[in-house]
Amino acid sequence: MAWDVVYYTARDGSVPAIDFLDGCPTKVAAYLLAVLDAVADAPPPRYSGGGQWEAMHGDMAGYHEVRATGPGREQFRLFCILENADESELSRRGFERPAIAVISGLRKPWRTTFDDRDYRAIRVLGDDYRSHVPRRIAS
Amino acid sequence: MLAARMEDSEFREEYERARREIDQVDFVIRQLDELREKAGLSKAELARHIGRDPSSIRRLFTAQANPELLLVASIAEDLDADILVVPRTSATEESRRDVAGPATS
Repeated sequence: MAWDVVYYTARDGSVPAIDFLDGCPTKVAAYLLAVLDAVADAPPPRYSGGGQWEAMHGDMAGYHEVRATGPGREQFRLFCILENADESELSRRGFERPAIAVISGLRKPWRTTFDDRDYRAIRVLGDDYRSHVPRRIAS
Repeated sequence: MLAARMEDSEFREEYERARREIDQVDFVIRQLDELREKAGLSKAELARHIGRDPSSIRRLFTAQANPELLLVASIAEDLDADILVVPRTSATEESRRDVAGPATS
């Protein structure tokens, strides 16, 4: 069964992942969304996403990232949380079926790294997302 | 979100191209994993057969690695399978033959 793809909506009504995608080159945005859809169509534990979908570890455990490379090898990432629970819990969270919740994105020049502050900013959004039941989402 | 973006022809073209690429990678890796299971091999056993670290095989089959062609080819060889590139149309095939010149024997 295919999963849904939904987008975290902030308290002010903004959708950080969509704002991020709007700022990406068209080719990069298309690639990121294609990976998301491939994973949603053949969700975990099946192999999907062409190798560009990865579970994160350490402080980012519980998140998955979608990776893409843009012009000049600039690196783009989308950070996601899986909504996969039993039917009643999914219903409580406002879902009809499991979903990939896209929280936000980051970009960085080639040969640089995201720092703790970047990841912390994502986790702040993810914590806000998880604190609301039902979830505050756009689809 | 996607439906609105698909109205942009440039986006739609890039999205469809990306999906074809991703789906092909996914298809190859899933087929290899199915063959591995049919052969009754664990990921660790497969790794030993081809002289690779078991973690590299685990990562590959759980979508946590960008597949390296040599690794994919090694797995296919161990599972007695071939990886094929199939032209989508005969016209494509013919045009490539034209570029390559006449076949000789």
